[in-house]
Amino acid sequence: MTASRLLRHETILGVLTVIALIVLASLSDKFFTAENLLNQGRLMSEVGLVALAMTFVIVTGGIDLSVGSILGLTAILLGVFWKNLGLPLPAAMVLALACGTFAGWVNGLIITRFRVPPLIATLATLALYRGLAEGISEARSVRGYPEWFFFFGQGEVLGVPFQLWVLGLATIVAAVILGLTPFGRATYAIGANETAARFSGIRVDAVKLWIYTGAGFCSALAAVIFVSRVTTTRSDMGTGLELDVITGVVLGGTSIFGGRGTIIGTVLGLILIQALKNGLALSGVKGDGTIVVIGLVLIGAILAGALFDRNRGG
Amino acid sequence: MKKLTMAAIVSLGLMTGSALAASAWTGGDDLPTNPLACDGTPSAAAAKPYDGGSPTNPPDRKGKKITVVDVPKLIGIGYFNATSKGIQDAAAELGNVDAKTDGPTKANIDEQITFLDNYITSGVDGILFAANDPVAIAPVLKKALEKGINVVGYDANSIPEARQWFVNQAEFNGIAKALVDSMAAEVGGEGGVAIVTSTFTTPNQARWIAEMAAYAEKCHPKMKWLETVEAQEDNNLSFNQATTLINKYGDDLKGIFGMTSVATPASAEAVTQAGKCGKIAVVGLATPNAMKPYVEKDCVKSVVLWNPVDLGYAAMQVLRAVADGTLQPGATSVKAGKLGDLQVINGSEILLGSPYVFTKENIAGFDF
Amino acid sequence: MTALRAHPGRSALHRFIGGYGQEIVVLLSIVALFVVVGIINPRFLSDTNINSIFAGNAYIAIAAIGMSMVIIAGHIDVSVGALIGVIATIAGTLAVNGYPVWVAWVVPILFAMAVNAGVGALVAYTRIPSIVVTLGMLSILKGGLISITAGEWISDLPPEFMIAQMRPFGIPSAVYFMVALTAVAAMFMRYTDFGRSIYAVGGNMEAARAAGINPERTVVGVFILHGLFAGIAGILFATQLQVIQSTVPPNLELTVITASVIGGVSILGGTGTVIGSTLAAILFACIGSALIFLNVSAYWLRAVLGLLILATVLADMARRRRAT
Repeated sequence: MTASRLLRHETILGVLTVIALIVLASLSDKFFTAENLLNQGRLMSEVGLVALAMTFVIVTGGIDLSVGSILGLTAILLGVFWKNLGLPLPAAMVLALACGTFAGWVNGLIITRFRVPPLIATLATLALYRGLAEGISEARSVRGYPEWFFFFGQGEVLGVPFQLWVLGLATIVAAVILGLTPFGRATYAIGANETAARFSGIRVDAVKLWIYTGAGFCSALAAVIFVSRVTTTRSDMGTGLELDVITGVVLGGTSIFGGRGTIIGTVLGLILIQALKNGLALSGVKGDGTIVVIGLVLIGAILAGALFDRNRGG
Repeated sequence: MKKLTMAAIVSLGLMTGSALAASAWTGGDDLPTNPLACDGTPSAAAAKPYDGGSPTNPPDRKGKKITVVDVPKLIGIGYFNATSKGIQDAAAELGNVDAKTDGPTKANIDEQITFLDNYITSGVDGILFAANDPVAIAPVLKKALEKGINVVGYDANSIPEARQWFVNQAEFNGIAKALVDSMAAEVGGEGGVAIVTSTFTTPNQARWIAEMAAYAEKCHPKMKWLETVEAQEDNNLSFNQATTLINKYGDDLKGIFGMTSVATPASAEAVTQAGKCGKIAVVGLATPNAMKPYVEKDCVKSVVLWNPVDLGYAAMQVLRAVADGTLQPGATSVKAGKLGDLQVINGSEILLGSPYVFTKENIAGFDF
Repeated sequence: MTALRAHPGRSALHRFIGGYGQEIVVLLSIVALFVVVGIINPRFLSDTNINSIFAGNAYIAIAAIGMSMVIIAGHIDVSVGALIGVIATIAGTLAVNGYPVWVAWVVPILFAMAVNAGVGALVAYTRIPSIVVTLGMLSILKGGLISITAGEWISDLPPEFMIAQMRPFGIPSAVYFMVALTAVAAMFMRYTDFGRSIYAVGGNMEAARAAGINPERTVVGVFILHGLFAGIAGILFATQLQVIQSTVPPNLELTVITASVIGGVSILGGTGTVIGSTLAAILFACIGSALIFLNVSAYWLRAVLGLLILATVLADMARRRRAT
């Protein structure tokens, strides 16, 4: 896992992203404007936050399919705490965040304590958490939030959308943790060889528990931002989020087998996908065509990365 | 692990218990209902002042060519294929409109917002929409209005200030009355009925079910609601759910309401395959083409709908009128091409007409 | 498989139960379910209801056979739902355009096998993880289907095409397919060289290679087989109703994967049987129907289902730990 190896996939991805941006900008003059780019940043913040946490998860060789359901559950709980239980909105927000984080912690518990493989554990909690959201809300939406609440999802600071600041800050924090701290090194070690990591004294279960709790927290944070952006709560919010997040993370070079991946790769992957979705739409491609292109780009980019790896004898 | 199994069984018991406590028809929302009179006397409609939004400094589009995007709840189902056709028909007739339909492949508000956002950025002149959620769609629609884009909704409304006009296919209580009266006519005013809907979070479906419950309580109190099941917009799932209902209630089930253009034919198919044509009535919203085989075999007596092609057509005509400035806030009617004059109700809604009931006699004359 | 020989001191029956533990648990769950729900609402046990449960869900069990093979080989396929949607559309289009019925049945199956051969080759020879390739394939199939069909319903299907609605001796044909295919696949996995090599490759690829097995060819072969089963499932899915919707059935891949996993196929690869996944698919279908019969509040249906899946998974993990 030397620096040159790390950079190879990210470099290809970076080049690919730049090429894509140039092509998309040439197809539509509305694409490469400050307003559009900032807006896209706003729209990708929710996926971005969860993807940061998902990078950690996938680097350990695990996966979390329940992030979308945690988002939906947190959104519903936010509304329920505020409207049905009458809590002041800031308290409701904090409590909802706590619940979403707890849901992530439960995921971690099932995976570490009960040794259920992450795919299965989160497949089950995907259904359970979404079901809880549907049951608790009984299909009712909560609306009528005070004006100040909409700042998180719709407001701006110095001209940049608020959630983009949050995403930027989170990215820096995540990159520092993953790349520079013992926790980050432990994450890589677990993904590379879990048994060896355990024997070398790393508290594998504790690290994993933190990581899945973190995924829960990021999903919950994304939920609060999303509710603020659309001014209402629905139990089907976040459906399909996990696939978008995993696509971004994997495109960014994080290996699904664990042990490899960087935050910068994830960020590049997310930017590429968001750029494609937006740029293709602006140049007149309809939704179904965009989906096909993203599928092809995913396979193509990973293929390119794999081929380059092999050529260098990696 | 035994403890967990016990916990699961206890939770199951609790959830079962909560089901028995529900009194209103499951699947309805809790907004106020307004059932019509049982004998068909139209309700006195108080005139409301205009409550729609307006675009900020729209450019003068009178007579000029405009680009319009239509973003329905989802693409890939017959109903929105039909509205899209209506929109294209109107665009062709008007001659100065460039319209296209694009939208998410699932009825999901998250994606629909992204679609709308992209089209706003690409600089369209007009937006037609059918909302997956009336409140969630508001911020992005307001953004469109702020950019001077004309915004008109159809089929599924947003909150009024987020769009200029909304073309309403029929009033919610009118649809409820048509459905419940058709069912009562077939099952004789009493008997057990079940509902197959899309999801409980779909606003239109929830409104209709709530109004149906209120109207049935008022005018057909002996009609017994049994259960509502969700079937998304999937044909096979609707079929399986309807079949389960038929198996569960046996002879106690006298009728099935289908709340979407997917659920109704699938329910009719379930009744046919179970051999219960004539014993279980199927009444619902559906396109005539999907129901022709069942209506011809007398398995289904009446299908309630409006003409979705006309709906799309009217929406496009209204958008053109708004862009041209010929339709202003405060108007009481609008000329919609070949549909003639349409009435304005509820301040900023344009009524397509009354729900249409397709029967064996007239269904052959329609092709959508 | 290996558990059969793990406890030489025990009786043959003991070893059998140890080896097929999860399958037996699932079977007992099905029986328990029928008993409990049948007492509460006897209509659950009526032959029309049992027929409906099996006929309506047999295609899931068949798709789960192929998925189990893929998972046993150490891979996964998240695009199977989209593939089935495409299969159904191709079959319906061929049928209404006048092609002979057997063409409408066979060509889509061949298409599924070809697509999956490509997927398998990518996975085997370029070492791209299967979840990535099939994630991409999911997008391509889904987008392609909508682009080409715009969701237009296919109706006026010729009656002789409707294989799922045929009922030899009163039992839906889908049930015959399910039982026969499960039996054939089970014997194939257990008694043929290729079947055993699937287990070997899933258990430890390098050890398999050292033992003379060609892992790459095995992986491609497994995906092609998976395509075969997905294709048959797609044909049955297409012919259940008078119309074909030309869209991707929602959540189908998750249901199929869950059925395989609950049925005892380990996501780590190398263990599990197709009998288990078929039984689990049946259990799922029964639970879905049972929850409605039991009057579980419609708002809480999915939560109960999720809880049941979790309970089953935890129980399975506990059982495995006790066994080792």
